[in-house]
Amino acid sequence: MEIEVKKIQEEFEKDLSAAQDASGIEALRIKYLGRRAEINQLFSMVPSLSKEAKAIWGKNLNILKNDITRALEEKLKGLGAKEEKIDLTYPAARLTKGSRHILSAVSEEICSVFEKLGFTVVEGTEIEDEWHNFSALNIPLDHPSRDAFDTFYLDIPEPKEKHLGKFLLRSHTSPSQARIMSVSKPPIAVISPGRVYRPDAVDASHSFMFHQVEGFAIDENINFAQLKGVLLNFARLFFSPDVNLRLRPHFFPFTEPSAEVDISCFICKGEKDKCSLCKGKGWLEILGCGMIHPKVLENCGIDSKKYKGFAFGMGVERPAMLKYGINDIRLFYENDIKFLEQF
Amino acid sequence: MRFSLNFVKELIKIDLPAKELVELLTMAGIEVEHYDKAGEDFLFDIEITSNRYDWLSIVGIAREISACLGKKLGIKYPEVIKSPLIKDKLIKIEQPADCPFYVARRIQAVKVSESPLYLKERVVNCRINSINNVVDITNYCMLKWGNPLHAFDEDKIEGDIYIRRAKANEKFVGIDEKERILNKENLVIADDKKVIALAGVMGAKNTEVTESTKNILLEAAIFSPLVIRHSRRAAGIDTDSSYRFERQVFADYLEYASAEAAELIGKLAAGRLTGYCQAGKKPEYKDKKILLEFDKLNEYLGAQFPKANTKNILINLGFNVKESGKNKLTLLAPKHRFDITENVDVYEEISRIYGYDKIQQQIPAIAHEVVKNEIYEFKKELRRFLCVLGLNEIITYSIEADEELKKLGYDNPIKLVNPLRAQENSLRPELSSGLVKAVSYNLNRNRANLHFFEIANVYSHQTGSFCEMPRLSIGICDEEKDLFYLKGIIEEILKFLNINDFEFKEKSNSLCANALEIFVNKKYAGFLGKLDEKIKNEADLKKDLFLSELDIMSFCKAQKIKCYLPISPYPAVFRDISIALNKSKHFSDVEKIIKEKKEYISDYRIVDTYKGKDLEQGFCAFSLRIFYQSSQRTLTSQEVDEVHNNIRVLLGSQEGIKLR
Repeated sequence: MEIEVKKIQEEFEKDLSAAQDASGIEALRIKYLGRRAEINQLFSMVPSLSKEAKAIWGKNLNILKNDITRALEEKLKGLGAKEEKIDLTYPAARLTKGSRHILSAVSEEICSVFEKLGFTVVEGTEIEDEWHNFSALNIPLDHPSRDAFDTFYLDIPEPKEKHLGKFLLRSHTSPSQARIMSVSKPPIAVISPGRVYRPDAVDASHSFMFHQVEGFAIDENINFAQLKGVLLNFARLFFSPDVNLRLRPHFFPFTEPSAEVDISCFICKGEKDKCSLCKGKGWLEILGCGMIHPKVLENCGIDSKKYKGFAFGMGVERPAMLKYGINDIRLFYENDIKFLEQF
Repeated sequence: MRFSLNFVKELIKIDLPAKELVELLTMAGIEVEHYDKAGEDFLFDIEITSNRYDWLSIVGIAREISACLGKKLGIKYPEVIKSPLIKDKLIKIEQPADCPFYVARRIQAVKVSESPLYLKERVVNCRINSINNVVDITNYCMLKWGNPLHAFDEDKIEGDIYIRRAKANEKFVGIDEKERILNKENLVIADDKKVIALAGVMGAKNTEVTESTKNILLEAAIFSPLVIRHSRRAAGIDTDSSYRFERQVFADYLEYASAEAAELIGKLAAGRLTGYCQAGKKPEYKDKKILLEFDKLNEYLGAQFPKANTKNILINLGFNVKESGKNKLTLLAPKHRFDITENVDVYEEISRIYGYDKIQQQIPAIAHEVVKNEIYEFKKELRRFLCVLGLNEIITYSIEADEELKKLGYDNPIKLVNPLRAQENSLRPELSSGLVKAVSYNLNRNRANLHFFEIANVYSHQTGSFCEMPRLSIGICDEEKDLFYLKGIIEEILKFLNINDFEFKEKSNSLCANALEIFVNKKYAGFLGKLDEKIKNEADLKKDLFLSELDIMSFCKAQKIKCYLPISPYPAVFRDISIALNKSKHFSDVEKIIKEKKEYISDYRIVDTYKGKDLEQGFCAFSLRIFYQSSQRTLTSQEVDEVHNNIRVLLGSQEGIKLR
């Protein structure tokens, strides 16, 4: 019996390796497992064996049968259906996909950088009153310092609280400061994005509507050095890890000391000469900032002897234009699908 | 403002190359926008912030450069001669608040001619036209001291001098030869008969100094900044003079400017100072005492300021500095610095001269309660989800033309009191106008398949007040899509927010005859529809637009946290019904019957619509596929057939519904 089993095994292996296709495998299945297969003849001999041999050979034949079955199945899987060659140089399918407007994306990104630094997002309203837009922020209503904040006024009846003045479209996001300070207690750390409006005729770099992000922090130990640190972190996360900051002294009625902030040109890396972005200056202005003026804190009910704060405000269009090389502000508001789809 | 470097060098020695000076000034707060070489001179165009009137003078610039270089500016002041007094002419100030102080010097026997070259160069290099020696001298002294002066031809002044408000419709012809009609907002200088100057803004043609002028009355004054601001606005002129008066002038320098001008006219135009008179009172400036504590300074700025250095900075800026115990200085602010009133002003002075760049950055440990801003986060998530649905976000203007809004059926928007143009005179009460414009812009450029959305605020009047609310607009302009695609988007949004209590109701509005109103938690929350042909044509849209506006506050409030729904392990089976529906019936009638029969029905959908000729008129046909499934077991086909036949019978018994 042992000889016969071995013979079957050897013959099967030879046959199996010779089998080329599914029909060959089928022929082998009939030959080795079919009704007239040699194994079946051997099985029929088992009952006539001794008790011990019966047990051994019954088991061995079963193993042989299973092995053959499995080997045939595997060979069949391996052969598979033959793959036809496809011309893969045909163009990719056109997918439709959505997109956030680049200004939304940039505004969200700016906010999220500051959120990581511990700030909370609070949005203000676009319709504001004179007190929040100007007076609370230490901007006198009739003064040259207001010339930079030309404003659209609205035909809404003046509020009963006379000190609030007339209604207008906010000309910056700074009124958020006054709003939040009036209702919260320090420590406060807020970032406030939104639309702002100024009576500017539309051209490549002006728009009567644009976006700003305002940020400020108030606590007992806030200082100017921290303002520098926060802004440097922002610039490196938003623009490029190797940019540097430059703070230039400036004047804003609502901060003291005040500064305008430039980042080193991330295109020419300060190599100057003929950079199309920084025009050879090596620096790009991105925002205004400073320590919140004690008068502003007091106007909004915060004890300026105990608390100090810093604040900063930036446009959204400008960093977006700088970062993505967009050269005309009107592109943001035309909503050409060819523009929208790029981001 | 433009200044000439050579002019500054009259007051201070500067060895620095122009390029380094640019850096020095910029980093001290005088931003140099541009600089140029002009012959032997350098011209600097600088931006002067509105708090620093004192930088509108060469003396101020020189003092600043000096402080930056670590030196104190030594100024040679001219001798101020106040005699003999003029007795034959009176100066009458109507309201001291308009003009607190007025000074006149009489200079006789002048020879008016062309200026010497260096004088010409000084004024021209500071962007002022050279007129003649006398006028150039007044401008030279204005540039140097920051105080505007005016020279009248005294022989043309009739009688006394009055500083008064203009009468209604009083005429004024300036040296620019333009006639202006004045009103009581304008402050004027007048004689007995006529207006001889628009105070602080411009002299009149009638008393202008010309080549034939012999005798001069030289005016120097302090005018109310606010009055000058209103006056020049009313007259529609902005001059070097009004620019300075509006930002305040310093009385001490006024005297120097007038005295030096008189002296120079003597030297260069052969004139003789023969009289002086004044009206009003020279303002006295109170000492502004500030106690500087180094601990507080260091704490405020987050740096350690070296004491000796700090003291020098203050001295060089003109402060009077006294030690006041350990770590304290008692300061008197320079009289000419009206902008310095408190500690933080001093902190700025110290830090900007010391250098902002020398302050090392720190990171604050911000410890405050973190609150989730629900609506901001909601808008952010919604924006992302709409992108997932393949929509492109647009941003359109919040300001619209009331005419355009009217076309869309919106009356009485909030209006701008001072619009730039009629095209932008109202705040939009809806987002559709912007959407239509964006679609139109793209269609005109042959862009197809537009799937847009915008999230922005809308505004409206509300009795005695206003309302500002966030909205979402969606617009689909795509020949392969229809209104049901838009309906699908809205259902997806509802599903995304897990809002189950919603309803669509057919109701037309001013934009769409075919429209559905959306109700969330039984409250109106927006609409969707097909833009009417008429509006479409008026807006010159070449294709159909399906649009929707949703009140996202309602959606935000109604959203619910999702809860996992167990998935049935048993198979679903389906059966189809072919239905012909009469136009008198709605699909919702069919839907209602299916929904009532909840048993085993897991889903249903239309799989085919039929428009064959054999269809009876007034009917439309479709195949409805209903899915049956149980969460407990595999349904037998008898069970399914039984339920399904039940539905068939129910549907078939309805008038207007035919089973095919």
